[in-house]
Amino acid sequence: MDFILQGLIEAIKLLAAGGGETYSAIFTTLKVSTISIIASLILGIPLGFLLGYAEFPGRRFCRTLADTLLALPTVVVGLLVYAFISRRGPFGDLGLLFTLPGIAIGQTILALPIVISLTASAIEGLDQRLRLTLLTLGASGRQLALTSLREGLFAVLIASVTAYGRIISEVGVSMMLGGNIKWYTRTITTAMALETNKGEFAMGLALGIVLLIIAFTVNAILSILKMRAGI
Amino acid sequence: MSELIYELSKLVHRYGEHVVLEIEQLSIRKGRIIGVAGPNGSGKSTLLKILAFLQAPSEGMVYFEGQRVTFSDPPPRREATLLLQDPYLLKRSVFENVAYGLKLRRDKNDLTRRVGQALTWVGLDPKSFTHRSWNELSGGEAQRVALASRLILKPKVLLLDEPLASVDAASAELIMQASFRARRDWGATLVIVSHDLIWMHEVADEVLSLFNGSLAGTGARNLIMGPWQISESGLWRKELEDGQQIIAQSPSGDQSVAVLDPSDVSISPKSLEPASQRNAVKGAISQMIFEKNQGKVLVNVTADSISLYARMTEDAIKALSLHPGQTVWVSFDFDAFQWL
Repeated sequence: MDFILQGLIEAIKLLAAGGGETYSAIFTTLKVSTISIIASLILGIPLGFLLGYAEFPGRRFCRTLADTLLALPTVVVGLLVYAFISRRGPFGDLGLLFTLPGIAIGQTILALPIVISLTASAIEGLDQRLRLTLLTLGASGRQLALTSLREGLFAVLIASVTAYGRIISEVGVSMMLGGNIKWYTRTITTAMALETNKGEFAMGLALGIVLLIIAFTVNAILSILKMRAGI
Repeated sequence: MSELIYELSKLVHRYGEHVVLEIEQLSIRKGRIIGVAGPNGSGKSTLLKILAFLQAPSEGMVYFEGQRVTFSDPPPRREATLLLQDPYLLKRSVFENVAYGLKLRRDKNDLTRRVGQALTWVGLDPKSFTHRSWNELSGGEAQRVALASRLILKPKVLLLDEPLASVDAASAELIMQASFRARRDWGATLVIVSHDLIWMHEVADEVLSLFNGSLAGTGARNLIMGPWQISESGLWRKELEDGQQIIAQSPSGDQSVAVLDPSDVSISPKSLEPASQRNAVKGAISQMIFEKNQGKVLVNVTADSISLYARMTEDAIKALSLHPGQTVWVSFDFDAFQWL
């Protein structure tokens, strides 16, 4: 019990001191996760909207596929992207392996099914009366689509927050595609795994505290959004 | 005769294989208030959606101001607007909701004044309501905001689906006054679906009766549902639970629905016995409705499980001293029915 308490005191000291490896991992995490979530939203929201709004052949299959990929293991994503961006892979020449963009690609793929699936659910779940109301007020097809998306905005934001939660807490992609390089691609989760293995319990705990704070903030935002959306 | 705004011809609408609406011919004149009555599932809401161009009929033709409406091209939706029974408000402020239709039309002139005016029409004070959020309104207020968002567009046709069903009496009065303003101020045609027959006959120039998707005629209609049983004499009869019976000639089937014009029904406060060609059914007067368009009174008599209307003049009612609650005998001929 003592070493946990001692670890906790050391962790707080580390965080209070600022700078160093701990903060490098925190900033790397924030940087790469921000890129990943932006990319997954840019790609995922239009695709999810299309899936929830439009009727087209194969829609049901796409929906099932997106739902299935929600549970995609991070190490599988890591493995697949690794195969493509490693020296022997088709995109090996781009030199993406063990870089932040490499991690971002993997995390984007990880978050994409969440954004697509939850956005589609949000749009499908819109009140049936909305369409009739917009049409009878004179909306064109384009105006109907845009207003529908805006009406589902809260639910789409919830999809974004959920996806961010998945990105920030994953370890498989960051480890396999980032290589856990100190001062460069080491993220909170990979640093925690490494430091704990090395016996540097205090640093692992410090990073754990930061991760918990981020996770708590993300979930607090989610709760507020849910409340505002009346869900 | 004023100009027609709608003309429906050989109209059929199906959901899957099930026919929900079948109207051979229907014309609606401009500037009229048309009531649509009928039980649940009679096709009233489907008719409103077709008139609002929100639903293309499976078959048949719809003409609007003399022009054939092709639902594949953008139909003239901006001329006719529907207020749903349970209206949907956008998750925005009252102002944004009321101004939405105008913004779609890129008509942003004098928006604040026009939104304020529309809110005033429906009895909402612009100062205290303009900035309220959609979820800060009561049911009646939400209904009135929804109506204001339609009135501001000054539509040629205002279609109202059960506008008074879920609002309090004060809101109901304001909703109707605002709707009538549309006819008074810019000659709008109103089509109103309601279960409230008394009110409908009070306000409408014409009342259409729908039953099982078919037009049972204009004005109030009595509908007597089967089953009908054939008797030894070759006539058909419907047994009421209290032992009375209604005799009819030649229905089209044992489940046919008989349509009886209230003008063909007589009322007597004195006991009547069924005659050789005439039914006599004992019941009690449940209500009296003034028909604005006919200048007559509909006397509603409830006999066991059925309800029958008789159309009478005010003088006849006075002469017979009829009043609600009174036991009376209604009579009508065996061959007075039309069949659905």
